[in-house]
Formats: sequence, C-alpha cells, structure tokens
Amino acid sequence: MEESKYLKISEINNYIKSLLDRDSFLNKIYLKGEVSNFKNHTTGHLYFTLKDDSSRINAVMFASNAAKLTFTPEDGMNVLVEGRISAYPAQGSYQIYIEKMEVDGLGNLYIEYEKLKKKLASEGLFNKEYKKPIPKYPEKIGVVTASTGAAVRDIMSTIKRRFPICQAILFPSLVQGKDAAPNIVEQIKKADEFGVDTIIVGRGGGSIEDLWAFNEEIVARAIFECQTPIISAVGHEIDWTIADFVADLRAPTPTGAAEMAVPTILDLNTLLDNYRIRLNKNIKSMINTKFITLRNLRHSFVLKNPMTIYEVKLQKFSNLIENLNNTMDKTIISKKIVYDKIMASPILKNPYSLFDKKKNKYELLVNTLKLVNPLNILEKGYSLVKVDDKLVKSSKDIKLKDKVNVKLHEGEFEAVVSKIKE
Amino acid sequence: MEKSFENALAELEQIVKELESGTVELDEAINKYTEAMQLAKFCSEKLNNATQKVNEILTENNELKEFDAEKEG
Repeated sequence: MEESKYLKISEINNYIKSLLDRDSFLNKIYLKGEVSNFKNHTTGHLYFTLKDDSSRINAVMFASNAAKLTFTPEDGMNVLVEGRISAYPAQGSYQIYIEKMEVDGLGNLYIEYEKLKKKLASEGLFNKEYKKPIPKYPEKIGVVTASTGAAVRDIMSTIKRRFPICQAILFPSLVQGKDAAPNIVEQIKKADEFGVDTIIVGRGGGSIEDLWAFNEEIVARAIFECQTPIISAVGHEIDWTIADFVADLRAPTPTGAAEMAVPTILDLNTLLDNYRIRLNKNIKSMINTKFITLRNLRHSFVLKNPMTIYEVKLQKFSNLIENLNNTMDKTIISKKIVYDKIMASPILKNPYSLFDKKKNKYELLVNTLKLVNPLNILEKGYSLVKVDDKLVKSSKDIKLKDKVNVKLHEGEFEAVVSKIKE
Repeated sequence: MEKSFENALAELEQIVKELESGTVELDEAINKYTEAMQLAKFCSEKLNNATQKVNEILTENNELKEFDAEKEG
C-alpha cells in the first residue's frame, strides 16, 4: 500500500479552496435570499444562513463590512448581497463572504408604488374635480387610526382643544402589517355609513414598510369611494403615500390633520366680536346720518318761516291774474278791428251790385256759347257723320258696308257705305 | 330643526356685508341689525356655553364608548 497517494483532509480542503478562489465568477457574486439562523458574534462578525425555498448557503459578514450596514438584519428578512464564495477548510464547507448587503423588497415596494400611482392617476382618482371640500365647522369627526399611540392622542386632543363642541369618534384600525389595509378599508366604510362630517385617516410616522398599508390599492379605492370628505394624515412629512394623493386633503402629520379639520374656538370668538363691532358701527353711523339730515330739514328756511311759502304763492297768483287781464284786452281789441273791417266792406253796403255783376257775366257766357255751338254750323247745310257714335273725320275711319249715322240741321238718317275714296 | 352653527355664521356674515354695502333702508337695517345680533348671540352660545362633546370609540361590538386619548395613549 502506497501511503503517499492518501491526502490529508486539510490538503483536499485547501485544494478545493484554491479552486474556488481561482474562479473569477465566484469572486464577485450577487445573491438574494432570506436570512436565517442569524448570529451577531461579540467580535462584530455576522454569521447566518441564506436560503430560498429549496436550498441554503452559509454566510459570513466580517465586522469591517457589517459596520457599514444601514439596518439590522434579522431572521426572515429578504436581502440582496454582494460578495465572494470561498471554502472554509476547517469545516469542509463553502460559504459566501458578504461585502455588501441591503434589504430586498424596498426596491420592489417602490416599483409597486410607482406602478399603482400611475394606474390610479390615469384613472383620475387624484383629479381635483373629485376633491370634496372639507366642512368648516364640523360637528362630528370620524378618526380611522390605531387606538393607541401618539397619532390618536394628537388627533383627539387637538380637536378637543381647538373646537370642543365637535365630537371625535374613533374607528380603531390596524395601521401596520398585512391585515392593516383591509381593516382600514372596513373602518373607513363604517365611519362613512355612521354619518360624520369629516374623516381623518392616518397613523404616526414610520419606515416605508410601516406605512405600506396606505399605499395599498384597496385603501386608495376606499378613500376615493367614501362619500364623506377625507383628510389623510400619514405621519411622513416628505413622502406622499397613495392615500395622500387620493384623499380630499393631505395633512403632513396627525396633529396637522386635526388642525385642518376644525377651526379654533378662539378664532371664531374673535370673528364674532368683529362682526358685532362692524354691525354696531354701521347702524350707529346710519342713524347718525339720518339724524343730521333730519336736523338740517328742521332748520331749513321754509320750516322756520312758513309764511314765505304763502307769500311766494300769492305773488305768483297776482301775476297770473294780471297776465290774464292783459291777454283778454288784447284779444278783444284785435277782434274789434276785424269786425269793423267786415262791416265796412262794399258788399254789405250794396248787396245788389254783386247780383248785377253776376248777371252781366252770365249773358256774356251765353253769347259765347252760341258762337261756338257746332249745331249752328248745320244750319248752313253741313252734316255730322258718325260710326258707332264716333265722328267720322277721315275715310280711314270707315269700312265698306259700315252703317253710318248722318245728322242734319233738322232730323237725321242712316246710310250704308258703298264706296270709299282715299 | 335647530339652525346649524355654520348656517348661522354664514347668515351673520351675509347681513354684515349687506349693511356695509349701504343699500338698505333704515327701517330694514334696524330689523337686520337686530337679527344679526341674535345670530351672533346664538353662535357665541353654541361655541362657549355648549357642553364639551365626549370623544368616543366604536368598539368591536359596534357600540360607542367614551374614549379618553390621554388615558388610552
């Protein structure tokens, strides 16, 4: 038996390690998996296992690298790691030596967030026209949040302090974890059906995972469909959750939401005082103005010397009488002149002179008529020839066989045309 | 039904503006002034004399129960 062909365990393990170390692929490798068996060693090195559904690999993260982590790894956490694969000869195992590690899922969450935001925006859920106005003086406010913690305390005490005549009703809800979203939806519906003036939905600040329920689609839709105006108050000053975009009003903090939901009693008292002052000032100045007008009227000339009214009227009356007399005189005189003229006319002095004048004119006309009477011509032997009651003046006025009427100085007769000469 | 605080305040504001516009006759102005002062009194009483409302919580059995945030928190 040749002893030399048998290797020591350390020799083969070191050989395997050298093989792995020479492989450039394994020198820089990226893995994702779930943390389990996490141990934080007193030296600061981290030892754990990375696994997926069917497989696992040991993992080491040395203190120098672990110090740069921005989170504390724990069992069940999904992580993304960067490192190299090498063997640990003492154990005969290979493992990943992690240089960088981050939480997996955040990236996915952001992608989901952006996707949902885009989808709901394109559906119009964020549109201004759907934003309901927040009642200025609510009498009941529904609060959907966790029943313990700073958020509920801040909201309830702020409402009580600012506007104590408003009742706040808490609809307790989970605000974190996988059951939070359906629970928030249920409580928003309850508050909506219960009948309140405004609903505040929110929670105190936290990491993006803590706030995640407020980025869920069902919560967004419940807020959109709610008939009651909703103020969102997801305690994150800078980042907007989907719920913030859908809500009718977005408050940066729970306290801020309560301040937006109710006025302060102090401001209202000041406003009422202001109205009273304005009313008093106004009515006083109005009465004062009327009073001055009244006083001016009382002191007016007429009221002080009532006789002046009479005097003026009297003066006017006597003027009118005088005018009337003058006009009457003038009319009578002018009529008299016309009358005298008429009485002096010759016609009235000798009425027969007009008759003689007319008789002379008549005789003259009769003589003239005798001179021009066409029948006088017939006496001299001329005759009138007519066809159809029209005088015949030319041979063109008649045709052969026409019956013509011939009028003589004494009597008349009819004849028939037997020949026509041009 | 009793007038709501919001309506009363809105009416009050309306009358103040109307009177300040100077278009109202004196008789009517005095009536309006009286009405406005009553509205202001109503609002003040609602604000200051009304008992403070108790905050409540809707329990799992859908019953309302007094809720004191200071104690619970």
